[in-house]
Amino acid sequence: MKRPPLVIRLIVYVLLVIIAVAINLPFFWMVITAFKNEADVFSMPPKFYPTVYDFRNFVRAFQIVPIARYLVNTLFVAGSVTLLQLVFNTFAAYGLARINFKGRNLIFLLIVGTLMVPPEVTLVPLYVLVRKMGMLNSFKALIVPFMSNAFGVFLLRQFFLTIPKELEDAARIDGCGRLRILWNVILPLSKPALWTMALYTFLAHWNSYMWPLVAINNDQKQMIQVGISKFASMWETEWTLQMASSTVAIVPIIIFFFFVQKQFVEGISISGMKE
Amino acid sequence: MKRETKDAIKGWFFVTPSLMFQVLFVYLPLAYAFFVSFHRWNMIRPMKYVGLRNYIDLLTSEEFWHSLYVTFIYILGTVPTSVILGLLLALLLNMNWLKGRGLFRTMFYIPVITAMAAAAVVWNWLFEPNVGLINYIMGFFGIAPKKWLNDPHWAIVALIIVGIWKRIGYNMVLFLAGLQTIPRTYYEAAMIDGATTFARFWHITLPLLSPTTLFVTIIQFIASFRVFISVSVMTQGGPARSTEVITYFLYENAFNYLKMGYASAIAVIMFVMMFAFTLLQFKLSQGKVFYQ
Repeated sequence: MKRPPLVIRLIVYVLLVIIAVAINLPFFWMVITAFKNEADVFSMPPKFYPTVYDFRNFVRAFQIVPIARYLVNTLFVAGSVTLLQLVFNTFAAYGLARINFKGRNLIFLLIVGTLMVPPEVTLVPLYVLVRKMGMLNSFKALIVPFMSNAFGVFLLRQFFLTIPKELEDAARIDGCGRLRILWNVILPLSKPALWTMALYTFLAHWNSYMWPLVAINNDQKQMIQVGISKFASMWETEWTLQMASSTVAIVPIIIFFFFVQKQFVEGISISGMKE
Repeated sequence: MKRETKDAIKGWFFVTPSLMFQVLFVYLPLAYAFFVSFHRWNMIRPMKYVGLRNYIDLLTSEEFWHSLYVTFIYILGTVPTSVILGLLLALLLNMNWLKGRGLFRTMFYIPVITAMAAAAVVWNWLFEPNVGLINYIMGFFGIAPKKWLNDPHWAIVALIIVGIWKRIGYNMVLFLAGLQTIPRTYYEAAMIDGATTFARFWHITLPLLSPTTLFVTIIQFIASFRVFISVSVMTQGGPARSTEVITYFLYENAFNYLKMGYASAIAVIMFVMMFAFTLLQFKLSQGKVFYQ
């Protein structure tokens, strides 16, 4: 298609910039508010620039709320879940993609079928189950039920299917067992898919809210999202502190995303699924 | 040992852990939800079988129908708008002379990866009735300030705005992928025939994009049906129950009133409804959807 005239092109660019600013306005406003002093927050018209140039709101927020604790907890839980899923999803995906055995299709259906069961539906019984297992209020409650995930299995299986069988056959003739093949042949070729899956899993658990809200009732064990939103509802008008703690929960992920966004965006266009 | 037996042992070795977790933490709870829904149970005293009592109570209670109604309004507010805006952004970014496409795409996608809970705290601040940014900006356009989250009429609108904001980027990426699948030759042929930009959009882009549009619409329909975090953080179902969507209704009954049987009946009804939506999606798209 030919390029439209300069005026049209300029209009489109200006429009896109306006939209980009509008969509991200909440984040700009969050950061600006996190760098204001108490009184400036309530000035009308609002001040569109920071009025304190240090981290005092952050320091106070960290003193009042155990944000550091939440961060460590969240990193630990999201990291553990991601590592465990890398192991168990890979195993299942490999078995489903590469080994012919009776019942394979049924197992695939059973695993992928869990995508039809939204977490809201199993919230109550999962809570009961986890309580019976004595895991409430512990990291186990946040990790154990999520050690494998149908979306991850599906994504990896689809990827493994695209790897030529001949590679595997060659390795088998050389006397490699299945585990060796998985480790030495399949995994090195699957790095993009593994990355995508790991990123999705980590993000989903960094952002998780509903499950920790019901499973954890102990500030020392809480995850960041529930922790800071509970704090926000207790300190209703402390906007500077609320925005400082939201900044801590949001900005690291945005920065991280800028580095890895290609994987993310490819991930959804491959699978058409989210979280 | 025969090759077949060997493969069977190996196959099961690889899939069993994952399958076990799915059975234990998804299917067992799902079955248990059905079971509990026929009982009265507050988790303190023993369960008591009540037959269909919970379902009858639910279907005859005004609150249940109200929560469905609120959910429906939320769906109606978020789905069409976010789909159309996502499509428009995708069309803008798909123009081949555009530079900086990747940067714009990333900027538009940020809300999708952001945690809804933390973002909802920020939106609370934007919707603040006296010194909030949104009322201030609306003032420029001569729109009277609103009480937003404190006003039974406007609270749901606020939640809808947040919902749209969160999803546009996601829809845009799916539409961008859909647009890539339309062969360029179609457009070239249409240009030779002298079709206008709008005619090309209407007669080529839109029809060929329809599987994507359907897919995006149903995905968003289900996502809206499940809305919880923004409600939980911003309104807790209030004011005056005006934002009590079905998931929040379930959560309240389970964890505030400890009516586990009643809450499980809500969960079962939600499951049946979502199952129907998903089947509808498969039926309507019939393999036309573009996952590999």
